[in-house]
Amino acid sequence: MNGNRTRLFDVAVIGAGMAGMATSLFAARRDLSCVQVGNGGGILFASGLLDLLGVHPVADRRRWDCPFEALSSLRRDLPDHPLARVGDDALRAAFEAFVSELGAVGLPYAPLDGANHPVLTSIGTVKTTYAVPRSMMAGVEMMRSRPSCLLVDFRGLREFSARQVVAKIGADWPGLHSVRVEFPGFEAVSELYAAHLARAIESAATRDSVAERVRPLLGDATAVGFPAVLGLSRSGEVHERLQQSLGLPVFEIPTMPTSVPGLRLKDAMEAALAAWRVVRHVQAKVTKVSFDDDVATLSLDDVPGGQTIRARSVVLATGRFTGGGLSAGRGHVSERVLDLPVHQPGTRGEWHRRDFLDPAGHPVNRAGLATDGDFRPLSADGRPAWHRLFATGSILAHQDWMREKCGSGLAIGTAWTAVEAISRGLQAPRKAG
Amino acid sequence: MSASSFRIAVYIALGLCALGLLWRLSAWLRVRIGPDARAIPFHRRLASALHGAFSFAFSRRLPGVLKAFLLDVLLQRRLFAEAKVRWLGHLLILLGFTALLLMHALAALLTQKLFKGYQPTLDPYLFLRNVFGAMAVAGIVLVIAGRRRAQRVAPTAHRLGDRVFVALLSIVMVSGFLLEAQKIASPAAFQRMVDEYFGEDISPEDLSALKAAWAVDYGVAFEDAAADPDPALLETGRELHKDACASCHSLPTSAFVSYPVSRVMGPAVRPLDDVDAAKWLWYLHVFACLLGLAVLPFTRLFHAISDPVSLLVNGAASSRPLSDAGRASRRALAIDACVRCGLCDTRCSVAPIARFMNNASLLPSHKLLSTFRFAREGRGRLRDGARYDRIAEGAFLCSSCGRCTERCPVGLGLDDLWTAQRDDLAAAGHPAAAKWVQSRTASEWADLLPAPPGEGPAVAPLSSDRRTFSPCVQCQTCTNVCPVVAHTAGAGDGVDLTPQKVMNLLRLGMVDLALGSRMVWDCATCYQCQEHCPEGIRVTDVMLELRQSAYRRLATVRDRRRPE
Amino acid sequence: MKYAMFVGCTIPARLPAYETSTRAVLARLGVELVDLPFACCGNTVRGLDQDAYVFASARNLALADRAGLDVLTPCKCCFGNLRHALRFLSQDAGLRARIGRALESEGLALPEKVQVHHLLSVLFHEVGVQAIAAAVTAPRTGLKVAAHYGCHALRPSKVTQFDNPLAPTLFETLVRATGATAVDWPRRLDCCGDPLHDANPPLAGRLTQAKLDDARQNGADVLATACPYCQLRFADAQAGRTDPLPTILFPQLLGLAMGLHPGRLGLPG
Repeated sequence: MNGNRTRLFDVAVIGAGMAGMATSLFAARRDLSCVQVGNGGGILFASGLLDLLGVHPVADRRRWDCPFEALSSLRRDLPDHPLARVGDDALRAAFEAFVSELGAVGLPYAPLDGANHPVLTSIGTVKTTYAVPRSMMAGVEMMRSRPSCLLVDFRGLREFSARQVVAKIGADWPGLHSVRVEFPGFEAVSELYAAHLARAIESAATRDSVAERVRPLLGDATAVGFPAVLGLSRSGEVHERLQQSLGLPVFEIPTMPTSVPGLRLKDAMEAALAAWRVVRHVQAKVTKVSFDDDVATLSLDDVPGGQTIRARSVVLATGRFTGGGLSAGRGHVSERVLDLPVHQPGTRGEWHRRDFLDPAGHPVNRAGLATDGDFRPLSADGRPAWHRLFATGSILAHQDWMREKCGSGLAIGTAWTAVEAISRGLQAPRKAG
Repeated sequence: MSASSFRIAVYIALGLCALGLLWRLSAWLRVRIGPDARAIPFHRRLASALHGAFSFAFSRRLPGVLKAFLLDVLLQRRLFAEAKVRWLGHLLILLGFTALLLMHALAALLTQKLFKGYQPTLDPYLFLRNVFGAMAVAGIVLVIAGRRRAQRVAPTAHRLGDRVFVALLSIVMVSGFLLEAQKIASPAAFQRMVDEYFGEDISPEDLSALKAAWAVDYGVAFEDAAADPDPALLETGRELHKDACASCHSLPTSAFVSYPVSRVMGPAVRPLDDVDAAKWLWYLHVFACLLGLAVLPFTRLFHAISDPVSLLVNGAASSRPLSDAGRASRRALAIDACVRCGLCDTRCSVAPIARFMNNASLLPSHKLLSTFRFAREGRGRLRDGARYDRIAEGAFLCSSCGRCTERCPVGLGLDDLWTAQRDDLAAAGHPAAAKWVQSRTASEWADLLPAPPGEGPAVAPLSSDRRTFSPCVQCQTCTNVCPVVAHTAGAGDGVDLTPQKVMNLLRLGMVDLALGSRMVWDCATCYQCQEHCPEGIRVTDVMLELRQSAYRRLATVRDRRRPE
Repeated sequence: MKYAMFVGCTIPARLPAYETSTRAVLARLGVELVDLPFACCGNTVRGLDQDAYVFASARNLALADRAGLDVLTPCKCCFGNLRHALRFLSQDAGLRARIGRALESEGLALPEKVQVHHLLSVLFHEVGVQAIAAAVTAPRTGLKVAAHYGCHALRPSKVTQFDNPLAPTLFETLVRATGATAVDWPRRLDCCGDPLHDANPPLAGRLTQAKLDDARQNGADVLATACPYCQLRFADAQAGRTDPLPTILFPQLLGLAMGLHPGRLGLPG
């Protein structure tokens, strides 16, 4: 780590949420040397399901079976939307690259087929998403055909009740049944935590014991659903072995964040970045960035001896309000690292619509950084703030990813496009000015 | 003093010494240190000791024992490795004292019989006595100087009897030299010798010639001695001396300590003669010797017995481990074999902590004595003023680095002793804090551990600052990554709270409920929670700080005198 | 490359082979070690009295600072404690003043420049993997090694700055430099259980056992450690077992690969 003090990186990524991770990963895949600052805590809140674009327009809550059809509609209606600026091919390539990297570090996803998928959630609702972890994919098929199916829960695991799921959706799915079993090794423990079960089930003995306890309860089920606790770093293997020993398709049902799939995604991202030799500064914050003609210098807080990073390009992937990229002051939204101008409603009074639950969302939900087509944020004069400063993910303006169900798509797609631009820019001879 | 009353005094001293020895030696089999030792009755320890003593001579332990005797007992190699000055001092005392004992104190029994013509005032005996005496005195000075230096690092514990031996030895040495000096220069002693040797058969002329010779050659402080005697008279006196005295009296220059002392005393000799000083000095000299003999078992000199035994037992144990009974006896022996030289304290890894916390109970020499007191005074009884909490703190803050054991010049098995002490304390209701906390539930502790005045940001900077924990969104990540919660197999076995609940208690201002919790005290400090917290909360650092707060509060409720 | 060697309390008392092998390997790799009159890092009092702990660490650091040397320690817990102390001192002015006064009474000054390194960091960053690979003359080809990281080097990364705390690669890279194969095992970053051993032995035992089972299940021939507590915990937990998973201290593994005689590494033979 000592050598990094004087090293000049190609890319410095600020932020370690989904956008920061995707940006670093794509940059490293293009053989750009990359350093990333941020603790990646945001990813813990992810569900493991990677949305591309599920809903548009939000006011109509229209769901789409095909995200690319949704995209063409979006491009017509909201040309400033960041996703509208990412081409279909780029999005396909970006998602393929992203899930194949995750697969390579032990978190396999079902093959991408260009369609959105319905996923049964732990509260009995159905979520529409694009990329589905392989361990959950059988559930998607079951959702579609709804045959006889067994949902298993574990006594003491509060975040998942199979009986409640059946109660909620059973009217539309008569073959769905629930059973409750003791998780082996935790019989005397009153309150169970998903991650602990996920670690425990990675041991072959525990896995076999779970199968033993479920097998007599199968009845005429054609598939078995479990809460998402089937392994942490070895979920692919656990899932596969469990299918083998039960002789039936097995699927996980994603639980509420923070969940095991979130932990998996975080661990997998860390492993993928490490494999690509991305230098990470976790739990550090960038306090200052200064630019000269060709090099940006980032100052980190709270590192003994003080530390700076030098890089030829910078990507701001600090997220919105919860991620800490934007902060809402009295009547004004500001960008926290560089104090870039933020596209926002004129006054605080216009931030929200009258009805808090208005399906159309609120204008403040579309606040963020305005950029050019390469996702370079603009300064007050409408020109890029620095020629190799980029922004990716939810800090970008003109999108409402939560309602549009496009969070991962936004992060992955903008990261892909920005990294392409960085790669071009670093190879091209520097333009004057 | 008549010969018979002197003899009676010697026998009394010897008898007292023997009784004392019996008492002290039996302690090696009586004193029980450690719960395991309490299970072993006296007779088993006696049998094991006898068996050990008689069998080692015929066993494969013998080479180890012989090696230990040569290197450790005689050459004191362990002390040499640790403290050269004190090794030299110790060797000087050992050699000087032993030689004086054999050649001088036991002259009637040994020297006179072995060497024809022995006279205490004749060379080489006169010279050697001064040599041995000077060695002992120099040794005492070196040892005390070495101790002083060590004391600067850490104050060594001591017992009442520790200084008695050095004090008595000093009295014996000083009184011996003064006695010899007084006798050399004493006109009365001269007159007594003349009377004994010549009786009436010496003419006044010869007497004055002899006096002139002794005044010049021996420095006898005659009242009427001429400053510059007539050479002819001196010559006559020396002739006379050669015939009559020289066979028993070497020249006083051989007494290279006493003679200069007598020259310094000079004019004071005659007034001292008038009060019979030589007699009183002799009484003092002999009384100090006999007193030393009588109380020997209770003074530092006892180490002349206990240390060789301890070192020999070590030698024996080096080839084959001791039995349970043997180990129990060895612990009791260690208490007696410690000379409180304090070298352990100077090497102690936690000595800086002892200084900072102002608790000498952390230091080995102090622990050894508290171990003994605890054993002697029984479970649950200590003299008033002894602080169990301080002693327990000392016992449980030991980092078990083993330096005290490794460096002990008499090779005491201190590490085993410390284990026994911790077990004793735990059995008596003073276990390590982490164990003690387990005796009550977190809510019971909350009632028992009110915040002491002055607790605030200075001592608890994290838990007293809302900014530490207010970002917590109760996302449960800390709990999900916690290995202690994950491996809790059932009620009472592991944690009562989860890390996230501890954070919640802080947010609710209910820190007291967290202090005595198993989560706080059974935290593995693996820092998974802190590393994973999406809000960057220093969860593990908070856990450790809560322990510190609890420990501070425990000290206020812990019974300072005796356990329950 | 010259460091003050901080060997701590546990290594000389209970695992002298670690010191022996560390010295042998570092000497061969051209790292010079200096011995200073260090005492306990403060570990025993860490959870009881913050000031006493920081003082204990600071005193050692002050000694190294005075000698103008950085500290190298083979113990992960000493490493964590010493680094934490530096951090606490830099964050808390009140603490700094109190510790400064106490050091002054011992004729010492607050440490200013001294840095603390773990043995593995020095091997990786200062000696370098290439130099190590070049020194390997008897590669451990085919040996499958589970590298156990040890908590107090890895976390909190903000303080320890050892490697990426969630996806570290340093130890496996060093293992591969010996010619051995580093196995991937899910519990490689978990706690060995030792800090809990006194307070809650059964729970500690389960932590230890879970790690051993995991390493075995993932095909490890041997578990490599670089901390006396972890090493002893794994060894003690398997005492009396007929088929224990062997554990080896990393400098022993490296020393063997460098062709050093086992006797010089504190190994039998």
